[in-house]
Amino acid sequence: MRIRGIVAVLATAGGALSVHGAASAGTETPVVFTVGIRQDIDNFNVTVGVTVTDYEAWTLHYPTLTGKAAADFAVTPALAEKWEGSADGLTWTYTLRSNVTWSDGEPLTADDVAYTINRSRDEEWQNHISTVANLTAEATDATTLVVTSSAPDPKLPSLDVFIVPQHIYEKVSADDLAAHDATKDPGGGPFVLTELKNGQFWRMKANDSFYGGRPEVDEVIFTLFTDDDAMVGALETGEVDALGVVPASQFDKLAANPDVFAAEGEQGSFAELGLNAGMGLDNGHPSLKDVKVRTAIAYAVDRQTLIDKALNGHGKPATTITPSADPKYNLGPELLQPFDLATANKMLDDAGYADADGDGVREMPGGGNPLRYRYFARSESEYGAAVAEFITGWMREIGIAVDVSVISDSELTTVIGSGEYEMFVWAWTPFVDPDAMLSYFTCDQLSKDPDDPTNYYNDASWCDPRYDELYAQQNAELDPAKRAAAIEEMLTIFHEGAAYVVLFQDSELNAIRIDRWTGIPCQPEETGPFLFNNTAPIYTALRPRADAEPLTVACGSRGPTGAADRPASGSSNGDDDGSSLPLILALLGAVVVVAAGAVLLRKRRTSDDRE
Amino acid sequence: VSVGHIARRVLNALGTLAFVVTFNFFLFRFVNADPVGTLYRGRNVPRERLAELRSEFGLDGSTFEQFLRYVGQTMRGNLGLSYGSRRPVMSEIGDALWPTVLLVGTAAVLSAVIGVALGKRAGWRSGSAFDQTVTGGSMALYSMPDFWLALLLMAVFAQGLGWFPIRGMSDPRSTADGFAALLDTLHHLVLPCATLTLAYVGEYVLLMRTSMVEVKGEDFITLARAKGLRDVLVRDRHAVPNALLPVVTLLAINVGYVLSGAIAVEAIFSWPGLGQATYEAIRLPDYPMLQGLFLLFSAATIFANLAADLLYALLDPRVGR
Repeated sequence: MRIRGIVAVLATAGGALSVHGAASAGTETPVVFTVGIRQDIDNFNVTVGVTVTDYEAWTLHYPTLTGKAAADFAVTPALAEKWEGSADGLTWTYTLRSNVTWSDGEPLTADDVAYTINRSRDEEWQNHISTVANLTAEATDATTLVVTSSAPDPKLPSLDVFIVPQHIYEKVSADDLAAHDATKDPGGGPFVLTELKNGQFWRMKANDSFYGGRPEVDEVIFTLFTDDDAMVGALETGEVDALGVVPASQFDKLAANPDVFAAEGEQGSFAELGLNAGMGLDNGHPSLKDVKVRTAIAYAVDRQTLIDKALNGHGKPATTITPSADPKYNLGPELLQPFDLATANKMLDDAGYADADGDGVREMPGGGNPLRYRYFARSESEYGAAVAEFITGWMREIGIAVDVSVISDSELTTVIGSGEYEMFVWAWTPFVDPDAMLSYFTCDQLSKDPDDPTNYYNDASWCDPRYDELYAQQNAELDPAKRAAAIEEMLTIFHEGAAYVVLFQDSELNAIRIDRWTGIPCQPEETGPFLFNNTAPIYTALRPRADAEPLTVACGSRGPTGAADRPASGSSNGDDDGSSLPLILALLGAVVVVAAGAVLLRKRRTSDDRE
Repeated sequence: VSVGHIARRVLNALGTLAFVVTFNFFLFRFVNADPVGTLYRGRNVPRERLAELRSEFGLDGSTFEQFLRYVGQTMRGNLGLSYGSRRPVMSEIGDALWPTVLLVGTAAVLSAVIGVALGKRAGWRSGSAFDQTVTGGSMALYSMPDFWLALLLMAVFAQGLGWFPIRGMSDPRSTADGFAALLDTLHHLVLPCATLTLAYVGEYVLLMRTSMVEVKGEDFITLARAKGLRDVLVRDRHAVPNALLPVVTLLAINVGYVLSGAIAVEAIFSWPGLGQATYEAIRLPDYPMLQGLFLLFSAATIFANLAADLLYALLDPRVGR
């Protein structure tokens, strides 16, 4: 039979190639760690790229002056060995390691660092500017760097900038910088980018001249998937070693696999229900200018239900707008309104929003304008539609009608900026330090230009003069306790303004094959993810796991359950459970095909008879 | 074939293309979207820098100014900057073009060849067990969604049996080059290509079969038989060339769809072609990229139709006047 022949030929080809693959790997056996991802590098140029995957690649490729400990984000030596601050906290002198080189052999010195800081400040490089805006750097010799801040900066001495090679960048003018092909830049981090195929994969090789010592993994490959099921399947079959982002619906399945360690980590990202408080461009519903209405809405949202139903349980209720990857910056007071529809209804009744015409929707005090709100959900969000369903239902319970539109992020930016909304649900991933997140809700960031409505960050359409005052204060406060007190007061003011109903912190879900790998740090240890975290410590800590070698995982209490003591061998047989479902599906499919064929065959026969 | 006919057809095609170029622009301006605001949300970028970025994306000025700029650029082969990668759309499309041509081109040829081979035998012996099996099977395959077929093949042959890789067009872990690298790519090609071939083959079988059934009753076939030719020769020398005409037309039209035809299958197998690029562009959404892809897909269809028109005129002189 011809069909059978084709299958046999294809299968033989497949078998032959697998053997070939094994043979070629056997000759050199480089240690290769492969990470499956859904998001591509958009642009490797640090002055252009914006995605999380860019940050992961830059963190491996470019050197940094200081690092952060995996366990707790404490500032650690990186290119700088040690540092010293002046009494006023404005000047920091860093001593760099000597005899460090770029991967192309050129010396990597304090000049490169000073050049990067000064140029990125002058040209406002988007990924550096929030760190370097007030800084001036000077290299007094090859290993000494003096950094001066024009205002007290509580973030120092930590200095999060990707250091670029001066000998390459000084030849690129400001105008040409955005088009500069950074994939050819020499590296100074633990791994150097050697190949980037957009839409397919990128490859990073261990840097022999890395100041922290050459990593044990020879090569890290990030490979791109466009389909979640295929990506999870590839981890199960071993085509990849780890997944950067596990789809929430498949997390439990992977967590149950003894060859896989799947961890829920927090990066501080949170989702919020934004209400239009009307202080930006004033095109929203007048009732939302009343803080009592906004507070009532906050009482009518059941966060736990959203987490259980929309996130499959992978998250926790959010309490503030500054959750951070670093727990010590989670400064917010836990003032959450409990879910209580009766209180919400009573607040609206007391404030005079009655349903005079009995149609189930309240009107403005004095009658007339009903409380009918435009609600925008994000088409890009995994949970946007589900969350909208729940919130719409709760609003109905308190006499507020909601019209939901699902739109893209870029449309939503315009909608919010122009004030043409009442509600939206979006999310933020704040930096480790809360400063930037706090800055977005100052009066200065309110949208005020109808011709250019998207040039502002304040999407609460709310601000408060006391909040602004405290913002300036905390930004220059070097005493951590005083700064924390100022921030706490700001968060209280923001919370009482009720323009944002913070909903939940969604978890970062990672997975890795522990039958093959050991030495897995989470950052921070107790709560963070092990991939796509702040300074990517896993790639330098990881090593292949030999048979029966005990597993080391530094992820606090979240270590793999029951698998840690298991010998590491026999991995490829562990997939049997996972593969039965596809086979059942296949059989089902075959039955459908045969049945369909049989039905059509009969039809055919009758129509032939007519012919 | 008259020069007038060719000129009319070419002008017609160019007119359609001009319409598509214009329509394309306004289609993507219907959505009032600001990619810069989204891309830099939460990044603390100074306001002046955001304004600069907007101008880099060509988002400053009135809609009419933007339109003029767009037409001028498109004429010069500049399709703008991708929102996603900030690289020129033209080079993004260039990178994705060949993987798609390899995948969909191979599948188109295979499905046409297999479809014609099966269809001619089925049509020649219509009503036989072979015909009923092939026709029933073709109907089933033709009506099956390609993404479902893709998931099925992946579940069985990649995840279940492990014969073929799950993703991409090469194994990034392999250091193979030259012939070995080619084999590696072919190994990756098998499942997505088999999916598309199975998805397309039914159409060709059914068309070829119908066409054969029609031709079978013609007088020249009776004549050929009367000459005492063997049955196989009557079929292959006399019936098949005549029955192939509609199939050739289908093939010409399908060439236009080759470029856009595999969005779901490329997305499932992470095949780095135009289908995957389209899928990713919709996800963002990356309007300049979508605009460029739509333009390419429309242009391919328009020119394939033009080619089919002209080919028809050659094959059937009555059309060419």
